[in-house]
Amino acid sequence: MQSRIFKNLRKDFLIEFRNRSAVNISFAFAGITTLSVSLACGGATLSPQIHSVLLWIIIFFSGMSGLSHIFIREEEERTSLFLALHSDPENIYLSKLVFNIILFSCITALVTPLYLFFMQVVPAYTVYFILTAASGSLAISSITTILGAMVAKAESRSSLFTVISFPVMIPVLWISIKLTSDSIEGGAPPELRSLLFLLAFSGVIISVSYLAFKFIWTEQ
Amino acid sequence: MVLYRLIFIFMPVVIYMAFMWAPPAAILGDASRILYFHVPVAWVSVVAFIVSGVQSILFLVTENRRREREYMAYNSAAAGMVFTILTVITGSIWAKLSWGSYWNWDPRETSIVVLMLIYIAYLSLYSSLKEHPNRGGISSVYLIIAMITMPFFIFIIPRIYSSLHPDTIINQEGKIHLEPAMRITLFSSIVTFTLLYGYIYRLMNRISRLEIKAEEKHYDI
Amino acid sequence: MHKNYSLHINKISKRFRKQLLFRDISFSAETGESYFITGPNGSGKSTMLQIIAGVQKSTAGEIFFSRGKKEIPAGERFSHFGFTSPAVNPYDMLTAAENIRFASSGVKDEQIDEMLSLFGLYPHRSKHVGLYSSGMKQRVRLIIAMIDSPGILLLDEPSSNLDSAGKDILFSEIERIRKDTVIVIATNEHDEIKLCTKGIDIAEQNL
Repeated sequence: MQSRIFKNLRKDFLIEFRNRSAVNISFAFAGITTLSVSLACGGATLSPQIHSVLLWIIIFFSGMSGLSHIFIREEEERTSLFLALHSDPENIYLSKLVFNIILFSCITALVTPLYLFFMQVVPAYTVYFILTAASGSLAISSITTILGAMVAKAESRSSLFTVISFPVMIPVLWISIKLTSDSIEGGAPPELRSLLFLLAFSGVIISVSYLAFKFIWTEQ
Repeated sequence: MVLYRLIFIFMPVVIYMAFMWAPPAAILGDASRILYFHVPVAWVSVVAFIVSGVQSILFLVTENRRREREYMAYNSAAAGMVFTILTVITGSIWAKLSWGSYWNWDPRETSIVVLMLIYIAYLSLYSSLKEHPNRGGISSVYLIIAMITMPFFIFIIPRIYSSLHPDTIINQEGKIHLEPAMRITLFSSIVTFTLLYGYIYRLMNRISRLEIKAEEKHYDI
Repeated sequence: MHKNYSLHINKISKRFRKQLLFRDISFSAETGESYFITGPNGSGKSTMLQIIAGVQKSTAGEIFFSRGKKEIPAGERFSHFGFTSPAVNPYDMLTAAENIRFASSGVKDEQIDEMLSLFGLYPHRSKHVGLYSSGMKQRVRLIIAMIDSPGILLLDEPSSNLDSAGKDILFSEIERIRKDTVIVIATNEHDEIKLCTKGIDIAEQNL
């Protein structure tokens, strides 16, 4: 099983590395959105809450632009049957999940420092800030993996993806926005319980997706 | 079923009770009568959501009557969508009367909007899977995922916002702060609207079953 | 080489939403037998094979698949199958060897090279499959199906797009492995049907 996941991952990374356009576009999208937001704000002094709202809106839409690609590619290039013949649904899910987590961590790791740099924000609790960004993006990638698998089978995928992701993602966004604004503002000591909430949320979503993925991937 | 026929008696009675029999509330006056419609439709929106989710789980775990279950999950969501819109409309009228503005992102307003968004997302997912052979499976998994995020909402909403909304029917103290006549009206209204939902749902399911039957007969399977 | 595999198809029916494809198809095949499924276009030959391979579900009926006397559970089936179909597309951005290695369960590089040279793809082994012609892609599909020497080989139009040299290679490979394998071929080609010991016409059984 592990070797199968590893094989799938290796294949996905090889393909994405050779055909860099999709990943490049996700990174370019994330970078340009960050730049355009900071350009539009043009040095205005914003409250920590506004900063964290802006930051998470950028992160959310960067995820929307890139995270469904890994399943949509299999459908568009008509390779999903080939993949289905040689792997269990569970292995396919786990390998795609790992891919999305890695990709989205990289996107967040690009967006967040860029944002802090251009908006000249210095978080009061740096470690807390980093942990929030990391667990928030983990939660977002765990939701989008299963939803990406769904939209890959549907029509008008990219707009549908945003429509179906948003309601499920609201709890993550709320908590992340609150935590980020706390960590920028300083004052109250860091709240670890809310960080745990994000991790628990990802854990629940991942385990349900793991069980339910076969119902999406193979015909019922 | 006879039970559902009762609706034709109950509904006029409840409307009479709501407008004529129940006394007006202390501060709001006659405007408070919207309570007897707002609370039941909100309740039905949640019931329809749960029914839809349970049908989805049953769809995935049972082998027989698959097509029927697919439609039953969809029908409940479609009915629930209408009740959710009614909840939002009656709720915002009430909010205008008591808080002064139609919309103020109160936690209760937020959660009903999230429920509405889930319905919208489900219905758009369902319709864009039109001819996909696995439409039932995919849309069921979506409803289940949406359902498991619900407890997280309940956990986080009170931590982030404080509410102006009156306590829900079942509050922490387990008491109901209503006069007896108002309480009776409210509960009979809830029962009646639940019956109404059940009646509509049953009719929709019957139509779906007939469609399936006609199809099967036509293609002789 | 293999223990006796057997495949029993019992009253399989398939329907797409509103359209009946076929009904109550039954047959069985054992190791050493090769079975053809024929029928006009749109009669559901490919769907039948995909149902056997477990990537589609039948509307009704059962498939039993056993090795010796032990039945193989549905979840483990795919490691005993070789399956090819024009609908199975190898990854365009990978080379032929990488595609084959992805599909196989751990064969050595020498074996892959051997199969590549058998099917005449060795000179092109470092090119991406996206640059291959359709006949070459078909050869890659055949190698992917056969690389693990599976107990059951399901071939959907195996010689489509192949030139006569390609067909010769395919037929001689089928001859070589037929003693140890259950082979099911969905086809309308006469020379493929001739390879088989028995078979059915899906459309006729429907009547």
